[in-house]
Amino acid sequence: MEVPVAKGTEPLRDAVAARQAAKEIGYPVLLKPAGGGGGKGMRVVARDEGFDAAWRGATGEATAAFGQPALYLERQIMNARHVEMQILADGHGTVVWLGERDCSIQRRHQKLIEESPGPSVTEELRAKLGAAAVRIAKRAGYVNAGTVEFLVEAYGQFNFLEVNTRLQVEHPVTEMVTGIDLVALQLRIAGGEPLPFTQDQIERRGAAIECRITAEDPFAGFVPASGRVALVREPAGPGIRVDSALFSGMTVPSEYDSLLAKVIAFGGNREEAVGRMRRALEEMRVAGIPTSLPFHRAALFEQDFVTGRYDTDFVARWDPKKGPDLPDGTVTAGALAAVLAMRSRGERRAVPVADPAWGRAGREDALR
Amino acid sequence: MRYEVTLDDRLVRVELADHGRFTIDDRAVAADIRETVRGRQWSITVDGESHEITVVTHDPLRLDVDGHDVRATVVDERALRANRGAAGTRSGRVELRAPMPGLLKAVHVKEGDRVAADAPLATLEAMKMENELLAPSAGRIVKVGAAAGAKVEAGAVLIVIASD
Repeated sequence: MEVPVAKGTEPLRDAVAARQAAKEIGYPVLLKPAGGGGGKGMRVVARDEGFDAAWRGATGEATAAFGQPALYLERQIMNARHVEMQILADGHGTVVWLGERDCSIQRRHQKLIEESPGPSVTEELRAKLGAAAVRIAKRAGYVNAGTVEFLVEAYGQFNFLEVNTRLQVEHPVTEMVTGIDLVALQLRIAGGEPLPFTQDQIERRGAAIECRITAEDPFAGFVPASGRVALVREPAGPGIRVDSALFSGMTVPSEYDSLLAKVIAFGGNREEAVGRMRRALEEMRVAGIPTSLPFHRAALFEQDFVTGRYDTDFVARWDPKKGPDLPDGTVTAGALAAVLAMRSRGERRAVPVADPAWGRAGREDALR
Repeated sequence: MRYEVTLDDRLVRVELADHGRFTIDDRAVAADIRETVRGRQWSITVDGESHEITVVTHDPLRLDVDGHDVRATVVDERALRANRGAAGTRSGRVELRAPMPGLLKAVHVKEGDRVAADAPLATLEAMKMENELLAPSAGRIVKVGAAAGAKVEAGAVLIVIASD
């Protein structure tokens, strides 16, 4: 079908056969659950010695998550970018592509930041990925919105990964740059209607970025956190969209996915989208449980993100200990608040704080 | 009451006097403080600039200061006095607690093992994922409180480290 794929195997159940296959493919190899998706249960095996332990862990996780232990193997492509192509296919044989999303910023093979257009994707590569995605969907007789995922290596070589036969978490990024309501079109396609536009009529403009705010602690290896949300403030303003399930007082349970909210920023170009996202994240507050917000705030200032030259190792390379440089006034206020927070919690005793009229006037002045 | 506060890597000495007067690093500061959400958020005006501070989590203490994330510690004068004379920084028991309820899939260390900071100590399955729990500090494992296969509650002490 002329779609390049990474070297790999069929689904396997036998550890000995799998280890032999891994040797033939060449390390590092990737173990992927045959019944799954969304990056759950995937493992990288660096060396032959580590294969058996990784196989045991991955089959256990695959059984727990998807009800079947079979795994397939794939050559692990290093320094790659995860680029996916959004498609729409109606029941009348029409398939169109809407543009790509770069989803390389991941932890545990699950996405944290997505953007469109992909900063590394040339017009030529975009057309190739679009054509390949349409070929795959047509050959499979696919009908629905869908996403065709690729791993793009340096110099634009690409390998087909998989098709996500559903609406994805990151679909708003494509909606923002195309102005197309993907959910509405899913319903129309399901109702038997033809697509209301052709490939040539699809216009992409500007740039959009999505940050997935999750209940995870970025200072502790993104370990999930559950508990009660004490306070929420969501950002707003020009070019900002928030798709969220957050509210003050909600309890984040430990049984479900850790996604809490999606912050999407649109701009006339990438620079404007980055600026708006930084401002939105600075405005957002979530308290009571740790969230990924500190990671997202820092990521938007990382040199590799600003220049658009990042790959799937971005999160692994991020240093959580590198804090922001705070101005003196901010440090003073922060230190006072730290003491007040400890006292209000520890002693439950009112701190003697006067609220004189001059203080109020000063605060109001500062707001002007 | 006197306190030593760290904000990321910065050490700040705070003295809280009566009637809302403060000194920061022995300098008197005219700060106007209002608690906007009880025990959770403060509006503090220092030198004519207004700041908003939100307590993201109490333990460990994490603050959102004007949209910046800061990890903080507070030690009061009683604790300072108790520590006086002790060489270097804090050493002692450090506990690895379950950050959330889940199934303990594996424990990678045993009592007596030496571990580096951020070394994986145990695997906890929760939120449909296997999560590696990392060593909060370097040291020697003095206690393993739960075995693989155990269901653990949030906050359960899984491993105790005598830190370096």
